[in-house]
Amino acid sequence: MKTFLKPLLKPFAAFFEGHAKAHYRLERHSLGLTAAIIVAAGIGGFIEIAPLFTIDETVEAAPDMRLYTPLEQAGRDIYIREGCYACHSQMIRALRDEVERYGPYSLAAESQYDHPMLWGSKRTGPDLARLGEKYSDDWHVRHLVDPRALVPESVMPHYAFLLDAGLDVESLPDRLAALRAVGVPYSDEMIASASADAIGQALPDTDRADGVFDRYGEETAVRLFDGSADRVSEMDALVAYLQVLGRLTDLPAQIQPVPEG
Amino acid sequence: MISSLTQAERGAAMLITLAGMVAGLAMAAAGQGDPMGAHGWIVLLFFALFFGLLARAAYGSDELEDRSLAYYDDPTKVGILLSLAWAVIAMGMGVWVAAQLAWPDLRFDAAWSGFGRLRPVHTSGVIFGFGGNALIATSFHIMQRTSRARMPGQVAPWFVLFGFNLFCLIAASGYLMGVTQSKEYAEPEWYADIWLVVVWVVYFTLYIRTLARRREPHIYVANWYYLAFILVVAVLHIVNNLAVPASWTGAKSYSAFSGVQDAMTQWWYGHNAVAFFLTSGFLGMLYYFLPKRAERPIYSYRLSILSFWGITFFYIWAGSHHLHYTALPHWVQTLGMTFSVMLLVPSWASAGNALMTLNGAWHKVRDDATLRFMMVAAVFYGLSTFEGSFMAIRPVNGLSHYTEWTIGHVHAGAMGWVALITFGSIYALVPGLWRRETMYSWKAVEWHFWIALAGTVIYVFAMWNSGIIQGLMWRTYGESGTLRYSFTDSLVAMHPYYVARAFGGLLFVTGAIIGAWNVVMTIRHVPRQVPERDHPTTSETMEPALPAAE
Amino acid sequence: MEISHELFVGFSKSFGLFYLIALSVGITLYAFWPSLGGRFDKAAKSILDDEDGPCR
Ligand code: HEM
Ligand code: HEM
Repeated sequence: MKTFLKPLLKPFAAFFEGHAKAHYRLERHSLGLTAAIIVAAGIGGFIEIAPLFTIDETVEAAPDMRLYTPLEQAGRDIYIREGCYACHSQMIRALRDEVERYGPYSLAAESQYDHPMLWGSKRTGPDLARLGEKYSDDWHVRHLVDPRALVPESVMPHYAFLLDAGLDVESLPDRLAALRAVGVPYSDEMIASASADAIGQALPDTDRADGVFDRYGEETAVRLFDGSADRVSEMDALVAYLQVLGRLTDLPAQIQPVPEG
Repeated sequence: MISSLTQAERGAAMLITLAGMVAGLAMAAAGQGDPMGAHGWIVLLFFALFFGLLARAAYGSDELEDRSLAYYDDPTKVGILLSLAWAVIAMGMGVWVAAQLAWPDLRFDAAWSGFGRLRPVHTSGVIFGFGGNALIATSFHIMQRTSRARMPGQVAPWFVLFGFNLFCLIAASGYLMGVTQSKEYAEPEWYADIWLVVVWVVYFTLYIRTLARRREPHIYVANWYYLAFILVVAVLHIVNNLAVPASWTGAKSYSAFSGVQDAMTQWWYGHNAVAFFLTSGFLGMLYYFLPKRAERPIYSYRLSILSFWGITFFYIWAGSHHLHYTALPHWVQTLGMTFSVMLLVPSWASAGNALMTLNGAWHKVRDDATLRFMMVAAVFYGLSTFEGSFMAIRPVNGLSHYTEWTIGHVHAGAMGWVALITFGSIYALVPGLWRRETMYSWKAVEWHFWIALAGTVIYVFAMWNSGIIQGLMWRTYGESGTLRYSFTDSLVAMHPYYVARAFGGLLFVTGAIIGAWNVVMTIRHVPRQVPERDHPTTSETMEPALPAAE
Repeated sequence: MEISHELFVGFSKSFGLFYLIALSVGITLYAFWPSLGGRFDKAAKSILDDEDGPCR
């Protein structure tokens, strides 16, 4: 092997000895090795991700897209806190069976305000991307309190404690402000009235409820989500979030996506 | 162990712990009524414990050894023990969450014991607690040996080890309280993330400073893998965790990224956590302990260099195979798929290199369970990378994504590769490190091996089967052209496999408990080894003994 | 935006490929360069006997 290679490589030796020495020196100095690793590993990641940040194309325009209300955002935070994403995806893939089972496949626009996204990687339970208004509020509350009372085969944990836990509305202005800092277009007014709006959305027929319609649109669901007018519970927030899943924009239904495969 | 620190080192360490206590107190005060407050108390107690230990010994004598004579192995020892403790806890958690999927009411009637909160305790516990501690401990060992140089200083290694464990502690306790960013394998919130960056910077400088002390110009390849692990994990961690806290007095933060960008960033992170946490560092272990235990140099050193750069370069592109058929642009999916398939080449080069090293030493593999751990780990590494490359192909992923198949793949890699190579390395390391003649019980090592192997096989086969059944049921059409099975039908079909998986996991954690017990017994009951070599040595550490013929 | 996105993707695809090829060739040459063999062999053997204490 060696005897065969040597004459073959000889013409390049001058160049390569230099190269080899350079590499050797680079390796001797562990910092050189460090730099080489960063360059080798960094460039791939950069090339793959960078174009995504220049795009308008990867995210379709959805002019009718509305923002999460403070109550829904609070529900989303509870969804994250309880780790629902570990078992439920929110990403319907462009495959025929998925579209037939769950609805039009998910578009990038739909999660453009999701910090972070909750696409999920495992379906121990079904996909939830288009769950909104599929079941009644009452069904959700009873299901969360005791999943196996409604679906005997279910392995879902129960979340009865959410009914008794009062929702922390105080921190909502801060939360919305942080979301604005990362790019969600909440207005000053929305941030200032976040706490009131959260309460209003769960208590219809009050002045506060009107504010919710003003700021988030007439379509917004303003209801007694947990069935009780006594106070706003974490259950209210979570159910409000579940009921808005897939309903922030009509775009997927409008463009009637045709699935692949 | 404190007694081997100089007065100056004790002083420095006390200052650090003091600063930590102040930080903890500030967190506890600022975060009142928020989980961050509870974390503040944990931080405070954690540092107070070390402060107390240091203070007690502050004026004790410093019976200093001659540091030029020996490697500094105390942090390695503690790291191994911590790794074993995390293994038992976190794999126990794995069995618990597995059992919850089979019998959902097997829990307490409290929020913290729900599947969604316990699952990240398992994943972070095994990856960071068990895997991370093992990586740190073995890297300390290997960087000193291959450089033939002692670590500079005796504070930095402890800072890295205990600082990292504080991170793990905050992570695990946070999940139980509902503190999570939801990003898989990057769940801890912003203050824990910042702390990890500090620890990691110290870790990296420590590594480089040790390497800089070596006399031999060439750096042994195992160190390359550890360096790649440290460096790339740092980059991944910082980028993926960019977030804006909702307030400085609370745990909650919001990711800087949203939607598709977030998905791509997260799975660029997620897949490379697999690559550089669960693969690269453990390959470093393989490239050191396997040749050493087999007492043969690695089959092809050149191949190890090739596969190093291949892995470092290809892996970073592969993340988008987690997002096939989603809203991610098509060309990025194709790119991820292509590179994932190419990844098979360097991966199999490493696995093959390990097995070829053993070629001609099969009798050792037969007699020595420790070496057998390593060999089987290399086989599972080859297997899971083949499977991974296969699953990265779009149509295949169409079936496997979201199903138990992914879980089967994960655990073929995690149990079969990561855990087995770690146990093998620990058994290779322990007797020498504590200067014991031998492991307390070689029988127990044998038992551990067979139980762990059985557990892995049961787990992985159960999940392969169930995953494929699940994927097929979701896409099966009946005669009328409608979907044949409801989601619930597929869930019911999973039950027997969930039971089998829980049983396989129980076997595996039993093995880990046996291993931990064996290590403790070795330290406590096996007589010290009398140095007995044909050349004079002042080393603390002796070659590990091979098992006595049974 | 339109243009810069196209540009980015084009650059990624073409440059990425060249980069890949260049890196592979470079690494392969390095690993198999005959005169480096001795150094590698030495490194591979060096770990088998490394327990006799640090040299500094
Ligand atoms: C005692 C053995 C183990 C048992 C019983 C076990 C059980 C489980 C269970 C039930 C899940 C959740 C699966 C789901 O959501 O459907 C899981 C996930 C996971 N486990 Fe384990 N596990 C074990 C060992 C390990 C080890 C040793 C590692 C790593 C070194 C590991 C790494 C993971 C990872 C990364 C996930 C997340 C997978 C994903 O999100 O796709 N596990 N494990
Ligand atoms: C050539 C090497 C590999 C390739 C190409 C590969 C590819 C893949 C693919 C395609 C998935 C499924 C993604 C999805 O559908 O969601 C996956 C998931 C996963 N793999 Fe691998 N894999 C490789 C090696 C490994 C190894 C060695 C390990 C473990 C030590 C590992 C751990 C994981 C984990 C933890 C996940 C689950 C991520 C999640 O969804 O949470 N992989 N891998």
